[in-house]
Amino acid sequence: MTSLLTIAWIYFRIGLMFVGGGYVLIPLLNHIMVEQYRWLTLRQFLDGLALSQLTPGPLAMLATFTGFRAGGFPGALVATVCIFTPCVVLMLAVGRNYNRLRKIDIIGSTLDGLLPAVVGLVAAAAWNLGVSSLSGVKEFLILAAGFAIFKWTKVTPMIVILGAGVVGLLLN
Amino acid sequence: MSDNVKRVSLTDIFLTFTVIGLTGFGGGMAIVAMVERICVREKGWISAEEFMHGLAFGQILGPFSLNVCTFTGHHLRGIRGGIIAAVGFIFPSFLLVSLLSWIYFTYNKLPQLQAALKGTNPVIIGLIVVVAIDMGRKQIKGKSSALLALVAFGASVFLKLNAAWVLLGAAFWSICSSYVRRRLG
Repeated sequence: MTSLLTIAWIYFRIGLMFVGGGYVLIPLLNHIMVEQYRWLTLRQFLDGLALSQLTPGPLAMLATFTGFRAGGFPGALVATVCIFTPCVVLMLAVGRNYNRLRKIDIIGSTLDGLLPAVVGLVAAAAWNLGVSSLSGVKEFLILAAGFAIFKWTKVTPMIVILGAGVVGLLLN
Repeated sequence: MSDNVKRVSLTDIFLTFTVIGLTGFGGGMAIVAMVERICVREKGWISAEEFMHGLAFGQILGPFSLNVCTFTGHHLRGIRGGIIAAVGFIFPSFLLVSLLSWIYFTYNKLPQLQAALKGTNPVIIGLIVVVAIDMGRKQIKGKSSALLALVAFGASVFLKLNAAWVLLGAAFWSICSSYVRRRLG
């Protein structure tokens, strides 16, 4: 068992580094967990990766899995809190200054100029997810049904997603 | 802080983001699409523009699903709101991963949850497409913004560029074009 303080410090540093995108995390965590501290075998690391992608949380939920391995439930808690602290603090700082920044002409107009690119990125996410998970007629039918429900009804997403999960379990 | 007419209670923020964190299978943009649907459309907690600005910042600054929740929470109730939204969102995944980790390290195998995801993934794609269409209708006016959206899409899908780089490039483009417009006009 590794001390909680060590775990806290390790994950806090990782949290500082992963500003910039989730996928930087995979090689970084692999290096730290598997090669440096030997908390996990490579196989366990990959299983943990699959497992954290099953959840709605970001990829960094891998911290919970690896933290659990390193220090049980308290380890998981400390690791999760510490890995997310830097980005939450950063985002709170953005939120705090947002209204002030937005009033500065050049920043406001740049932000607005960005928005079409954001739309492009949202569409790209749908595309990328589609390429990896739409494999048959069944999936396309579920997609069409989901699209229609979200486009033309006001049903809240939770119900649709949970329903789709049940459909997925029954069909597979 | 926001100038909302009615103050949203911290409990309400926590519960909303817990439910999102509990059902937003698919992660990343699935969460963004859900927060858009619920906090912009259903509850009117934050305007579409402000939400998209938050998303742009969030994509540059790391795990954007979490960042969008923090941003929205902060918009509603300041620092406390932001922290509560972030904790509410991560909490269900944390419990789930802890439970699954315990099962995994005890029995050395993963539970079969993938089958359920086969059903949820296509629905999530549907939700993201709808959100993209709605956002596009509001934000894409004229040829240059349509072109920018297409280039961003292509850069992400075909060149596999990181979202942060795409957005920094778009910001640079936006600054240059407004500079040129000011010079000419």
